[in-house]
Amino acid sequence: MLDELRQPGALRLEFQPIFRFHGEKRSLYALEALTRGPRGTSMERPDVLFEYARRKGEETSIDLVCIRLALGEAAKLPGTPRISINIHASTLSAVPNFPRVLIEAAESVGIGARQLMLEIVEHRCTWDLLAMRRTLDELGEAGVLIALDDLGVGASNYHMLIDCRPDHLKIDRYIVSGCSRDRYRTAVLRSIVALGLASDATPIAEGVEEEDDLDVLRSLGIDCVQGWLYAPSLSAEQLMNSPLLKQQVRPEEVIR
Amino acid sequence: MSKRLLIVDDEESIRFAVKRYFTRIGFDVDCARELEEAEALATHTNYRVVIADLSLTDSGSTEGLEIVRFMRRSCPGARVIVLTAHGSPSIETEAYKRGADVFLHKPQRLQELAEIVDRLVSA
Repeated sequence: MLDELRQPGALRLEFQPIFRFHGEKRSLYALEALTRGPRGTSMERPDVLFEYARRKGEETSIDLVCIRLALGEAAKLPGTPRISINIHASTLSAVPNFPRVLIEAAESVGIGARQLMLEIVEHRCTWDLLAMRRTLDELGEAGVLIALDDLGVGASNYHMLIDCRPDHLKIDRYIVSGCSRDRYRTAVLRSIVALGLASDATPIAEGVEEEDDLDVLRSLGIDCVQGWLYAPSLSAEQLMNSPLLKQQVRPEEVIR
Repeated sequence: MSKRLLIVDDEESIRFAVKRYFTRIGFDVDCARELEEAEALATHTNYRVVIADLSLTDSGSTEGLEIVRFMRRSCPGARVIVLTAHGSPSIETEAYKRGADVFLHKPQRLQELAEIVDRLVSA
């Protein structure tokens, strides 16, 4: 199965837009690259795909395949949208000279480092902290943004926040979905906003599917959102035929 | 209770036949061909029943026992059936010791397998 996943064309890629509100206006802030396994197999589900890779001890090699796939697909898109790519924390320390590997791969398809954001995920505390910090510092100096993915669930917790010092906190859909009807979810969101303000990390809410939830998020000061309310995940070809890319912000624009 | 079923077998023809049969009688069926794939699916899905072949790599291997152990730890409510063409009394004892609900020898008629699954689900 693992060998099949590494074959060209086995993995597919879609992009889901992340929007940023400025008052009532919204613009495209980034496109998250979402990898899917072969159709008709259990690996079509990304949770199963990456759980399988981790259980095989191959998350780094699959991460590298996904990065190249994401960059290749992103290169087809017009303009210079920021591309957000998921990566295991362990990959940051496992790949020698990871910043150079990433940036050279991006530049080889015409994408600059400032167009990139890495969303760090982790499920086990297996990374080399010093090596990871060095890698993150080099990525930051090159202009790559760092986001902490799935904040609030699994291993993506305060420990990861301290280790990664991210530019963005991606709030898991479990916390976001239904926040307008649940004061516990709202309380968690409020605490994340405070955490973001204190640590210079801008929150991004994932899984925004209802107007009422969006209203709560905006009232709390969360202006970056992602979810079906505004856009599903789309292939590069679908994106090229949609008006979404006309709303993009310049990659140099970083929310602080 | 959902009727989600996981079939774990390295032979595509068996996965295909068992999936088709159980889908027709109302189960939601997923298939895995190797241990890690089964574990990945079971980590993110709440299965009512797992039917696992004992040997997933070669005739002497016992990955099915690992699946029993995994399910007992991660999803204690799931019922687990181990199927094998190469079982021995000691393997059967080990399967029950690890928490298998039923140990069956191939060949197994699908109708009989479905009756066993029904009994487990309604128990």
